[in-house]
Amino acid sequence: MAGVFDRLQAKIKDKQKEGGITALDLADLPPALRKIMRLMLRRLQLSYPQLCAAMEEMPEAERLTRGDLDQALDSLYEQAWLVRLGQGDKAIYKVNLRPKSGSTLASGIWSSLDEKLRK
Amino acid sequence: MGKIVSIHSFRGGTGKSNTTANLAAQTALVAGKRVGVVDTDIQSPGIHVLFGLDENSMGKTLNDYLYGKCAIREVAYNVGEHADESGGRSQLAGKNLWLIPSSIRGREISRVLREGYDVGRLNEGLQTLISDLELDYLFIDTHPGLNEETLLSIAISDALLIILRPDQQDFQGTAVTVDIARSLDVANLLLMVNKAVPNKYDYVHLKEQIEKAYHAPLTGILPLNFDLADNASKDIFSLAHPDHEWSRELRKVAAAILAVE
Repeated sequence: MAGVFDRLQAKIKDKQKEGGITALDLADLPPALRKIMRLMLRRLQLSYPQLCAAMEEMPEAERLTRGDLDQALDSLYEQAWLVRLGQGDKAIYKVNLRPKSGSTLASGIWSSLDEKLRK
Repeated sequence: MGKIVSIHSFRGGTGKSNTTANLAAQTALVAGKRVGVVDTDIQSPGIHVLFGLDENSMGKTLNDYLYGKCAIREVAYNVGEHADESGGRSQLAGKNLWLIPSSIRGREISRVLREGYDVGRLNEGLQTLISDLELDYLFIDTHPGLNEETLLSIAISDALLIILRPDQQDFQGTAVTVDIARSLDVANLLLMVNKAVPNKYDYVHLKEQIEKAYHAPLTGILPLNFDLADNASKDIFSLAHPDHEWSRELRKVAAAILAVE
């Protein structure tokens, strides 16, 4: 029987399959969200209180209100650009980067190349 | 938290891997910092050669990590423990310098091209390296041009060093990279000119022109020279020839990186 950790991991994997954000998408975000996403990439994950604290440290002109931040986090989560574990103040957020897609060349070309490289 | 420094050029052949290896070596040796070097040029890796590794001595690679075969720590090759007994690289003995190589095996490169990989896992690996090895600096040698791993490395960098040659194609390509770096809020954008034909340029004028065009500091103008070509990646040039003009100019670039807050 799967434990809590396994279930959470499975949930994260399911979310990740749905897409994810690319570095170019980051460039299109509002400055405050972009900074938060970059911070999350560096720290790997941030709790909701840590996100709020990071927002407080930003220049006033860029800062989002608590309500706007909550809305932005919900939106990023719904787009599968963020993974969220837990709810409310106990939530932990992590950036969901889109995997690098494989080649669209016909599979026969790759198996032929593999065959040649094996020799 | 250790700093991430990405070394990039829009076009190939600018001397990116050579510069990265030399900057990393200078940072570990002269500044005494704990330094990691990651080869994210997965499609055409090469920086391992400068550190004296070949296919047989390489062991686990970044490719193994990306496909879940090992932890990132297992890929880190301790350059300080395997330094040569002679030549420039011998000076790295006992220094805190690690290389995370990409695979040079054809089948593993073709797998990356065929299947892609988990970019999130790459980022986790880079951040884990900084904490596990207690790095002061992590240098990322990128693939020329723009692709997923390059854009990611730009997005997570504390400093981005863009290398260009005094060449119209490089000038235009650099403008693209500078724009993207700015749109990703890279805090410290640095430039370096490599392979400048000696006696052809007024360096003061060239520096002014480039800084005006890109609104970023030009940290060094490194000359095109036969000595470096003759080295043929056999050694880390600035360690083997510390008094050479190329090495002196490279140390200015290293100093600019060390000055980044």
